[in-house]
Amino acid sequence: MSARSNIVIAGYSETKVVFRSGRSAYDFAGEAFASLLEHTGVAKDEVDGLSVTLALSEASNPFFTVYMADALGLTPRWLNAGAIGGCSATGGVARAASAIRDGMCRIAVVLSSDAPSTAWRSNYGAYRSEFQDPPGVQGPPATFGLLMSRYKHQYGLSSEALGKIAITQRQHALTNVNALDKFKKPLTMDEYMNSRIIADPLRILDCVMFCDGANAFLVMSEEDALTRGLKMVRPKAYAEVTNYAGSESCPDITESGFWMIAPELYRKAGLGPEDIKMFQPYDDFTIAVLMQMEAFGFCGRGQGSRYVLDTDLSYQGMLPLNTGGGQISAGQPGLASGGLNLAEAVRQMFGEAGARQVQDPRTALVTGIGVIPYGRNWGTSAAMILEA
Amino acid sequence: MSDAVRRPVPKPDVYVSTKPFWEGAQARRLVLQFCKDTNRFQHFPRPVSIYTGSRNLEWREVSGKGQVYACTIVRVLGPGVEGRLPLSVVTVELDEGVRMIANIIGSDPEEVKIGHRVALAWDQLDGDILYPAFKLA
Repeated sequence: MSARSNIVIAGYSETKVVFRSGRSAYDFAGEAFASLLEHTGVAKDEVDGLSVTLALSEASNPFFTVYMADALGLTPRWLNAGAIGGCSATGGVARAASAIRDGMCRIAVVLSSDAPSTAWRSNYGAYRSEFQDPPGVQGPPATFGLLMSRYKHQYGLSSEALGKIAITQRQHALTNVNALDKFKKPLTMDEYMNSRIIADPLRILDCVMFCDGANAFLVMSEEDALTRGLKMVRPKAYAEVTNYAGSESCPDITESGFWMIAPELYRKAGLGPEDIKMFQPYDDFTIAVLMQMEAFGFCGRGQGSRYVLDTDLSYQGMLPLNTGGGQISAGQPGLASGGLNLAEAVRQMFGEAGARQVQDPRTALVTGIGVIPYGRNWGTSAAMILEA
Repeated sequence: MSDAVRRPVPKPDVYVSTKPFWEGAQARRLVLQFCKDTNRFQHFPRPVSIYTGSRNLEWREVSGKGQVYACTIVRVLGPGVEGRLPLSVVTVELDEGVRMIANIIGSDPEEVKIGHRVALAWDQLDGDILYPAFKLA
């Protein structure tokens, strides 16, 4: 075993995903944090490392992470701001592992909490008012409509395949007690096909819905976890890249940063796609799931539609996909989103997934996506392979 | 365009100096940022060249000719699109080797396809401020 594999995730917690809860990111964070302490038996004052994901609902406060430490009564010796959106949970775990190895802290909590459906306090500023707003690109759907159109042009894209992703994930959400109540009913292909097109060829059921919620992960050495008798999973490998192809004016936008990091990730883990027992990819849009299947080698480039149609993606299938429903079917708790996919992976690997338990949950591939840039795909791509 | 439609005019020079873009537009010239070290355009404007990291930048007029690289039709309401739906939104790849997000005007949005040649056209923001768009060539 390499010296780098001795840091583990030794606990997780997750709140229910709620739409317009009327509660703050602090309150959700408190719920996730208290639950994490309660079921791991870790005392609050043993936590000396904290990574806090920046929240859309609190983005006007540049000291959000410090305010969070204060809100939770923590005195961290290592404090990290998770500023890569949906990559901040896996990225936070990777950074916490480095901090623990460097002796900056011993027990870290990676906390993501957001409540954008209750309060929106973000303004992306920069170039957007002059160059993105006037043509009517206010948010991710138009950019993803553009991305999908290009993907479709280059490789072909089956609506049925995207529908199958949405339907499979919805089926998984039905047994997830933390999933948004609104999504607790099965989805049919007819419903998917008839759902409103909002930015061609993007349908409303290809998209996530902004909600409120939180999740938290406990990171420590394997030795400490063993001493405490805690369940654990090992982050076997992690890789991330931001602003892929950032010095190109005309990159192929169907190629994301995942194409760069996937080979590195597998090499670091000493594993290949055939070794992955479940895939918990960041799923802001169904096309992102399909494109990641290609980048991570589950199928060839441009073969995503065929692969999805030919493969059982249920929790009992060849490649269990977002077994908790993912963000598309559990709801997207703002920028706490990346932790939702990670929490489900850890839950499965702890054998706590109940009716949707994957039979052989020894490995999981979890990914993150952060921010939608100008006319490309996404800003940050991050991926982690977990091993039981 | 009806009087009820509001298309707010953004403030130039807030993020980086963009005045040449806006002054060019009012003269019906599309002026974009150009890296003098590599002789390449970049868009949106940046504080440095994305090719070299230097500030050896200037603004140059482009032909406005290019082709549709990606296209969508925005069908949901949001700020600045009231009265404009369904709205053709495209990524245009200009012949000068730079892309920009823009609207195609003067055509049924359903007619716009990837690969179509386009030419510069001028749209209006509030107060008759011109803003670049494209039309099918």
